[in-house]
Amino acid sequence: MEIEEIIKKVWPRVKKKHLFPHLPLPTMIEGGDDCALEIKSKQLSISNAFYEKLKDKMDGEEIVEAVLDHGITHYMYCPWDFHTHLTLYNEAKKVVRQKEQAQRATTYFMDVVTDTYCVKEKNTKIAQLYKNLPKHGMYEVLTSLYEKIWGENLGSGGHEELVNRLSRIPYLERKRWRESIKKFTKVIQDILEKEWENEQQSSQREPNPLGEHSLKNYSLEEIDRGLREFATAVEDLQEFRETVDDLREELEEKGYGTGGMGRGKANPIDANLLYYMKLAESYTLPIRKLPIEKRGYLHPHAHMPWEIGKPFADIDIWTSFGKIIPGITQIWTKREGETHGEFEGTPDCLIVIDSSGSMINPRERLSYAVLGAACACNAYLKLESKAAVYNFSDALRGNKIVLDFNHEKEQIYQAICRYFGGGTAMDLADITYLLSRANNPDIFIITDMQITNLERLIEFFNKIENRVTAVHLGSNVHTTRFKDGTEKKKNISIFNVKNKEDIPKIVLGKVKEYLASPAKWR
Amino acid sequence: MKNPFEAFHQAGVRKREIPLDKILKSKEETLSTILKGYEDLLKNEAKDLVWLMQYSTVIKAYSIAEKGIEGIEYTAEDIEEFCYALDHSDQIPYLITGPAGVYISALCNHAKEEEIYLHLRDLTVKINLLGYRLPTDKKLIVEGNVGDFTGIGLDGGEFIIEGSGKNYTGAGMKRGRIIVRHNLGFNTGHGMTGGELIVGGRIKGLGKIVGGKIYERDQLIFPHEGIKPFSF
Repeated sequence: MEIEEIIKKVWPRVKKKHLFPHLPLPTMIEGGDDCALEIKSKQLSISNAFYEKLKDKMDGEEIVEAVLDHGITHYMYCPWDFHTHLTLYNEAKKVVRQKEQAQRATTYFMDVVTDTYCVKEKNTKIAQLYKNLPKHGMYEVLTSLYEKIWGENLGSGGHEELVNRLSRIPYLERKRWRESIKKFTKVIQDILEKEWENEQQSSQREPNPLGEHSLKNYSLEEIDRGLREFATAVEDLQEFRETVDDLREELEEKGYGTGGMGRGKANPIDANLLYYMKLAESYTLPIRKLPIEKRGYLHPHAHMPWEIGKPFADIDIWTSFGKIIPGITQIWTKREGETHGEFEGTPDCLIVIDSSGSMINPRERLSYAVLGAACACNAYLKLESKAAVYNFSDALRGNKIVLDFNHEKEQIYQAICRYFGGGTAMDLADITYLLSRANNPDIFIITDMQITNLERLIEFFNKIENRVTAVHLGSNVHTTRFKDGTEKKKNISIFNVKNKEDIPKIVLGKVKEYLASPAKWR
Repeated sequence: MKNPFEAFHQAGVRKREIPLDKILKSKEETLSTILKGYEDLLKNEAKDLVWLMQYSTVIKAYSIAEKGIEGIEYTAEDIEEFCYALDHSDQIPYLITGPAGVYISALCNHAKEEEIYLHLRDLTVKINLLGYRLPTDKKLIVEGNVGDFTGIGLDGGEFIIEGSGKNYTGAGMKRGRIIVRHNLGFNTGHGMTGGELIVGGRIKGLGKIVGGKIYERDQLIFPHEGIKPFSF
């Protein structure tokens, strides 16, 4: 087919122009005649119908080159990554408060940035392409804007007031994009509302002539990374939740679940859990290793679904039907063998988290307790150790979760994020039970120490030899009492968390005097 | 030896100047000139960071503001940018809402456009004295809430506030029209001698009014049987 030949001919030139982006050779799709480009996980596809419709008005090679310039610049400049896309969407949403309108505003803004960048920085035929595209609705306004800011006659005109305001936005200043998209959205707000009303009436959406921008453009790995960066960048949990809730359907369709990538549709997204997961991934807590005997070589033990990010080397090709698809591909989980020597290793960890009324509800605001516990969980799971959870408020009245040692991150997070409210009392029998379920596990306890039976807890900690990392939030008489009561114990280290920045200062399993003798810790 | 990065050399780079560059440059220049005029006003009027709201002070500040903006080529968009620049400035004494309002009023009154639309919904502070001496043939529309002394000494212009105002709105107004979509505070129309003040919502209290008309939710509340004109 003619267009395929043109793509092959033009592609090396376009690639060179954009400094050799890591993109596969674009393909041709039949598609509709009103949408030129489709981008799916880095694969650019040009619509043949669009090309056929336009080829009488413009040279074939110029059409393909202009469309590719547009597509590649989205990949190379704006949005560049999923995090930027989410950030822009989030800012637009603050103005219009409506998902579809915010998505539209983001698309328009990214197109203006992309095309203006191309026109300024590259040798492109994008202006000619716009000259030949149909102009109606917002595209008429955008073409008029391009006329003004590119200095080209594109056969549009009009909308003077809107164009004046739009032309004052510094589209090519990346650092000001957040502020710029807000201004941009405010100016076009009336058009967005009108478009939305028209779509509601006709149930037909006017397609973007140069392609839509959705989650389809990104791979699961990019989405995962983008969400992690977004969780760190947003001001609060609500903002993250709102954005993720807006994209829930698309994320689930893509096969992205709370537990990460590749869990498939059966694992619906819990935005709160996802927030703590992604935020915790930004922190790395060090764990002091412990001399233990039971350590040796790893051997394949059981299967679990493969997720992007897990090593390819552990994939079991025999049970994966020869495919590398998240959710289908199986991976070997490995266990250690027995050995008799003094090796350093990481024990399992019991996470004790206070979710009483004096603690912040993690589903309403950022809870440092949950974030700290999540970081601890990540640190142990990463080293192939297991984690158990004891989440309590008034445990003696049944307000508690007792989760046995396991490797299941999502299950552990669910237990950590549960909020009870109410009074604070621990049932030490539960702790004793959980400690008996593993071999000398570490204990990570995070609380404000306003525990009714604090004296019994201090007494209990004074009796055990497990390494205890106690994190208290803020300072009060109870934290002082806990410090004084456990002062002599060298296996208990205490950290104070006043803000988010204190979390990375926690060292898990730190002992006041580290002795290499394994006997002390057995 | 062959340069391994040869293929990247000058690949597809054009870097031309486009009209957007000029627009942004001129916008920045205009804004800094406007800001300079404002700084001069502050130096003269609010040396001790205290600005007393007296009619003589306002008149003096206004004449300094008029001098400060002399010869500056600006548009309504520049005025709006200036408002946000004041709001986002981290120089604490920068935004003193009295002089700022007088300065913005002078900018509006001397703008080329007959109709000025200011989108100030996202301002974190409410600027006082907006619409001061708005002359005949000028229409000022402000989207968002405004502060005290709005539209005082209005001189024949039309001032539409798409939001609420505070106290002393329309004080000393001579002629023209102020339309407020929502509510107003105390002493509304104090010393007003003519013109119309039309309020879509509630008025907390009227001042001592000499003349003109005031409407609250389509009802004429001044002059009214119970409220007689005041003579100073």
